[in-house]
Amino acid sequence: MWIAGPGPEVKLWYRGRTRLPGGGGKGDETDASGQAGTSRPAQPPAETEPDARYTFANERTFLAWIRTALALVAAGLAIVQLLPPFPGLHWGRPAIGIPLIVLGGLVAVLSYLEWTANQRALRRGQPLHRSRLPFLLAVVIAVVAVVAAVLAAVSR
Amino acid sequence: MRWLRAGRAPPDDPGLARERTSLAWTRTAVGFAAIGAALLHKYVTVGVVVLVLSGVVQACGRLGRPGGAGQARPGPLLIIALAVTGIALAALAIAVFGPPSSGMRL
Repeated sequence: MWIAGPGPEVKLWYRGRTRLPGGGGKGDETDASGQAGTSRPAQPPAETEPDARYTFANERTFLAWIRTALALVAAGLAIVQLLPPFPGLHWGRPAIGIPLIVLGGLVAVLSYLEWTANQRALRRGQPLHRSRLPFLLAVVIAVVAVVAAVLAAVSR
Repeated sequence: MRWLRAGRAPPDDPGLARERTSLAWTRTAVGFAAIGAALLHKYVTVGVVVLVLSGVVQACGRLGRPGGAGQARPGPLLIIALAVTGIALAALAIAVFGPPSSGMRL
């Protein structure tokens, strides 16, 4: 897999090597210094401005997480303020809504940190970090769903 | 995809990526506006602040990128992240310390 560099050469982002246009074979790969060969270890990462498309994609991913955070905050607030109270369980609505609000704030902060880390990796031509946000989101929403189901069953 | 058949690198022009990103900023601003409008019914001050933030988000998407250049912009993104964190804190304060609500009848 490769991405476009600023010039006519193509960069292999996960190896930090370049392939000259028109070259197809493995022997055509060169390292950052332009020397042929593939067995030399990568030099310390030099930072260059990545392809604009990847910068835009990273920004869109950040904005998608921000919208998710906003939706979590809105859902949590709606549960606390608009949901009818559970009979006999006055703490029922906050038990569902507050975790969602806290998660929304966390997602907003973590998404910015992830954007920063991804942008740094793009500038250095390194592999992108694996995001932990989907796992966090899935776990918290699953726990909140179980709590909501238990509350609905108990309050009948 | 002439560049692909000719064995050349993809063109540097980001093409529609810029437009997709602009639309993503607009969707985010609309999200802020929707939450602000919903808050206006009960919490006027917070609602107005969130509505103003909606305009800030739209401005961040449109301004600060002269000519649609593809450079990273940490400043506006940090502002948006802090704004959402602030909204979450306000919502938390309302949920914990706000007046109890009897809920909405469906």
